[in-house]
Amino acid sequence: MKEFDQARLEYERTPLPPELDKRVQAGIREGKALRRRRRMVRRLTSCAACFAVLLAALNLSPTLAKAAADVPVLGGLFRVMTFVNYEETEDGIHYDVNVPQVENGGDLAETVNAVIQEQVDLLMERAKQDWEDYRDAFFATGGTEEEWGGREMDVIVDYEIMRQTDTQVSFVVTLGEGWVSSMEERFYYNLDFAEGRDLTLRDLLGENWVELCNQSIQAQIDASVDDEGFTYFFPAKEGGFTTVDENTTFYIREDGVPVVTFARYAIAAGAAGFPEFPITA
Amino acid sequence: MREDALTAYLVEEQARFYRLAYSYLKDRDEALDAVQTAVCKALERQDTLKDPKAVRSWFYRMLVNVCLDMLRQKSRVIPFPESPETEGYEDPLPDDTLSRQVDALPEAMGTVIRLRFYEELSLNEISKITGENLSTVKSRLYAALKKLRISMEGALG
Repeated sequence: MKEFDQARLEYERTPLPPELDKRVQAGIREGKALRRRRRMVRRLTSCAACFAVLLAALNLSPTLAKAAADVPVLGGLFRVMTFVNYEETEDGIHYDVNVPQVENGGDLAETVNAVIQEQVDLLMERAKQDWEDYRDAFFATGGTEEEWGGREMDVIVDYEIMRQTDTQVSFVVTLGEGWVSSMEERFYYNLDFAEGRDLTLRDLLGENWVELCNQSIQAQIDASVDDEGFTYFFPAKEGGFTTVDENTTFYIREDGVPVVTFARYAIAAGAAGFPEFPITA
Repeated sequence: MREDALTAYLVEEQARFYRLAYSYLKDRDEALDAVQTAVCKALERQDTLKDPKAVRSWFYRMLVNVCLDMLRQKSRVIPFPESPETEGYEDPLPDDTLSRQVDALPEAMGTVIRLRFYEELSLNEISKITGENLSTVKSRLYAALKKLRISMEGALG
């Protein structure tokens, strides 16, 4: 229609921001990763179910239990296993929940389990409230039942064991809620059961751990600047990375290398996701 | 549709996605967020695309929903007054132009007009994107044109 020629022309002249392509690429990366995660969660869930069956069998059969004692995974000082596991939809919220629990009978395990439970409870409460607020606002601003359709919010609790030895374990618990935009938090646990305490970066890197981390992280940030001088990381003056400290989070990679982690938005634009820096001494 | 074909489509058409998002949100950073979020969703939920030929309406549906959701969220937030130097970043258009009038339409009508005349999609595709049946889309289009005081000749195309 001729009437719209001028309007369409104006529309087509909308200036395109130079970072558009980078944002599209970031979306592609994130989406691929999320899809992988979803599939993995499904596979892990069935894995956990097998494990539960195996444990039940161990309780029943002395021969099996004796045989299992030689299996290294079951023979250590401790065990990290799925404590609560369910996938269900209630009041428009889709829950996909795998809560881990540490079993070893000591104080450390009990403390960690209590902390995890508290984090999960907080997430559930907040997710329900957010969802209610969103639904209220949707209808208050003129949304109709038809438009609302079958909207669902995702609530995800999941964990991943990064490294495990006879006496130590490093694992990350991910808590997420997703609808319009998504919110994800990660909590890292590095435990030493021989000592009955948390592992620290000092344990892994020695007395110079602060300098070692800072140098390595700064070098990796510098290396992220592309040909056009663009990087997702904020400059130090504008809230970017300055230094690690006692509260810096990390996990231990399978090969034993500590990996320092930051929350989304903490030191870089959201598109960078959760920045991670392996510290190879 | 194979993942690399989907990725190629998203990269190729990114300018169109941004323009559409911007026409809803009127904010550069929010439009970038919307595009990134929709692209992320597309990759995450690629298994829900059954017919590769329908990729455009399948993706636009996600993009339009993200934009509308962001608009709704925005209406809950009291805007922080813009600082003088960011004002006028995009050239302001006179208020009486057709494109301004389109922006002022109610959401559902604006969506139909944008998709039909800016993106030049068929009414069939538009009905897939909005999830409404064809007759609802038609009546929205008529109502919008009436509001804009434009004759309906050729609008169905």
